[in-house]
Amino acid sequence: MSELKQLSARLSDMLAAAGITKYAFTLSEDEKRELNTEHGSFSLFRTIFDKTASVTAYMDGRKGSASGNDLSEEGLQKLVEDAKSGAESSMVDEANDIAEGQLPETFRTGPYEADMERFYDRLQEVMDTVARDFPRIRLMQIIASHTQRHSLYVNSNGTAFEWFDGAYSTMLEFAGNDGEKTTGLGYGEVTMHDLDTPILALGSLRRQLEDTEKSLNTIAIADKFEGTVIFTPDALAYFTYMLVSNFMSAGVVMAGTSLWLDKVGQQVASDRITLRLQAQDDRLVATAPFTGDGYKAENVALIENGVLKSHVLNLYAARKTGRPVTKNTGNAFVMEPGSQPVADMIRGVQRGLVVGGFSGGEPGANGEFSGVAKNSFYVENGEIKGAVMETMINGNLADVFSKVTALSREIVSDGSMAFPYMAAEGITISGN
Amino acid sequence: MLQDIITPQKRRFADGVQTVMRGHENRNRRVVLLNGSLVQNARSESRGISARVTKNGRYGFSSAAAYTEGDAEAVLKAATENALFLDARAQAAGRSYPALADGLVAPHRLVVDFAQKRLIDACKTVDAYIAEKYPGLSSRRVIYTEDSQDKIIVTSDAASGHVTYPRCYIYVMLTAESKAGVPVELFRAFGGAGSFEDNFSDLSPLYAGIDQLHSHLMDKAEGVYAEAGVKTVILGGMMGGMLAHEAVGHTVEADLVLGGSVAGPSLHKRVASDLVSLVDFAHTAFGTDTPLPVYLDDEGTLATDVPLIENGILTGYMNNRETAQHFGMAPAGNARAWEFTDEPLIRMRNTAILPGKDTLEDMIASIDDGYYLIDSSNGQADLTGEFMFGVSLGYEIKHGKLGHALLDTTVSGIAFEMLKTVDMVSDNITWSSSGFCGKKQPMPVGMAGPEMRCRITIGGR
Repeated sequence: MSELKQLSARLSDMLAAAGITKYAFTLSEDEKRELNTEHGSFSLFRTIFDKTASVTAYMDGRKGSASGNDLSEEGLQKLVEDAKSGAESSMVDEANDIAEGQLPETFRTGPYEADMERFYDRLQEVMDTVARDFPRIRLMQIIASHTQRHSLYVNSNGTAFEWFDGAYSTMLEFAGNDGEKTTGLGYGEVTMHDLDTPILALGSLRRQLEDTEKSLNTIAIADKFEGTVIFTPDALAYFTYMLVSNFMSAGVVMAGTSLWLDKVGQQVASDRITLRLQAQDDRLVATAPFTGDGYKAENVALIENGVLKSHVLNLYAARKTGRPVTKNTGNAFVMEPGSQPVADMIRGVQRGLVVGGFSGGEPGANGEFSGVAKNSFYVENGEIKGAVMETMINGNLADVFSKVTALSREIVSDGSMAFPYMAAEGITISGN
Repeated sequence: MLQDIITPQKRRFADGVQTVMRGHENRNRRVVLLNGSLVQNARSESRGISARVTKNGRYGFSSAAAYTEGDAEAVLKAATENALFLDARAQAAGRSYPALADGLVAPHRLVVDFAQKRLIDACKTVDAYIAEKYPGLSSRRVIYTEDSQDKIIVTSDAASGHVTYPRCYIYVMLTAESKAGVPVELFRAFGGAGSFEDNFSDLSPLYAGIDQLHSHLMDKAEGVYAEAGVKTVILGGMMGGMLAHEAVGHTVEADLVLGGSVAGPSLHKRVASDLVSLVDFAHTAFGTDTPLPVYLDDEGTLATDVPLIENGILTGYMNNRETAQHFGMAPAGNARAWEFTDEPLIRMRNTAILPGKDTLEDMIASIDDGYYLIDSSNGQADLTGEFMFGVSLGYEIKHGKLGHALLDTTVSGIAFEMLKTVDMVSDNITWSSSGFCGKKQPMPVGMAGPEMRCRITIGGR
């Protein structure tokens, strides 16, 4: 029996001895190896050994949670006591519950052991390639890591999930710089299960570097107009996250502030939009096989051909609001692509922007957003005219996803999400 | 509070390298009441040991989620091996950093723990006040959040010490329906450095703040959209603090200067009107404790203030030991790490634009057509100094008087251009300290500003 399984058995005994008959806990052991580069050379090699235990006790409709990284006998005992006293201090709420028992299962995803020598070489290759192909890019930092995690989820309904997971991730931080001018900060991140592909060939890293170099020379937009915005896959992922957070998440549904509160089954977006939350998808690395509530995760359709199919509700929110639970509360979003090449989409724009990033205020509950278009390019009569600076975009999240004129047939995955390009009209664009 | 098992490791520090070891515990407490329902009720603690070993300027780092002398020895060994791994493969010569003043810092505050029941009861009391007095709200949230860091820092060639940084807050978030039937929101944070009892032994002082928040929310529910364009505005103290941190502070972090930030070519040049001065305070400002005092950083540098802008001229950067050597500046205690697993990064502490001589009343009276922008929901800025702040609370100014409240909007600009338009600065500042700055790791930071009259781009439909 592994050490974690022994701890699991011990923790179950402690909970029973404390008189807690309804509970859930997770135990995990992590080992992370991280390489950092700064300005073209390796600067840091970090090895982290971590452990976590998280216990939730349910007592007569009351709930308390405690977590920590001391997995000694005393440490676990303290967690049980803290969770119990947290529950005793809590209020009765019949919505507090754990998932019904699931069949025990062991999941294995990704390479559990790191190949740091090969990873080092792949990162050196990134630095060499950027220096050779992108002379006006200043590669400020790479943060690259391999994380192996062994975790257990157990609850008192008999569920016992075990997960062995390993994954590599690489984050680049860069800016264009030609000695006089500098661009804004650019970021790109990819997550992967193997090191077979040069890292710059993954996700949209190469395009992001190209766009940043092009952003050294900006043009000014002097007026304000309503135009079409083509969101890059990175920008679309960000807007989708805002959409879900604003209209579909547990918090806004429980608070009753979602404008899509009673819209399940109704058309809420353009019929071009199909959005899913994935549990298994060959393109994605960052999927979780089970939820925090103790359900085996499922692929969930959130919006299908523009019709809202589901909010994203954990078990508590579902019971609290009398709605179905979502058996996937992760962030592995996938949007179905369209049929047009992105080049054709650009040719179809009379006046607008290709938006690669957004720096904006968090939209209010009404979905109104307003912010600066980052890594963005001005389009007129179907041609990209140049990068823009100090250009704001304003609109409403619900409108953006309703006024979609095209989705690209190209789809880009960074390992955590997969999105096409999306064109939406009627967005207010204001220059300075 | 942590027991010192780190200092005995000093005898194992290797020659020819620079070593920092840290025993480190973080505690978090969180209670969330949503419309009276307890939707979060959690406590967490993490404790561990880290070592950073530097060989010719290359860092090896290791940490373990354990707290015994044996674990400390293993962590030190792994960090040393990592530094040697990088040094052996390095393609260019590196160099070590100058030794710093030694010293021993003692804790300035205690980390005091309270039973979860106290925290829940406090939230219930505040929630009951809101529910009873303001039944017409569409939603209310009361959140208690507490985080504390307890660190023992032992170095081979700098200062050492035991430092503690507890802080706790009660957030109140209120939602109402606007006249158009869409939700409008406002929130406010109460609290600061210290433990629960330091901040919330008496809850009654919160009620005046909640009443004011509700009053602003009712104004906002009747609010209007801002007119887009470049406007004369008064940025409130909270907005001034956001500007100090996001739009200027990040560009003068030396690691971002090396990345090509606009502050690189601007050193010793005019970047603001001569009414603007900016300081990153360590632990004391204007004769009293800063909101989040820092005494010793995680490289063993004793913390001192960093003047960044003096009368409109950019005068310095915030450094760690490595960048200080690069720029020929003195490190001042900005290298900080969040968890025991984290290596120190260059971070702000308590960053403030200094007060001026004008009164807010005179400033409002001086504007014929503009806005008073009071509070911000979030903010971001770039290497270029291009910034964006969400404005959650603001009012029109018409003919020298406040007018309608504003619905959510955004302001943006280029910091070193916008600051040159500042022509009035109020005689008091407003501190805030409840948030986290995000830069690979989260980090608690304080920020402050006076009211400033300036020209700025405001977004709108």
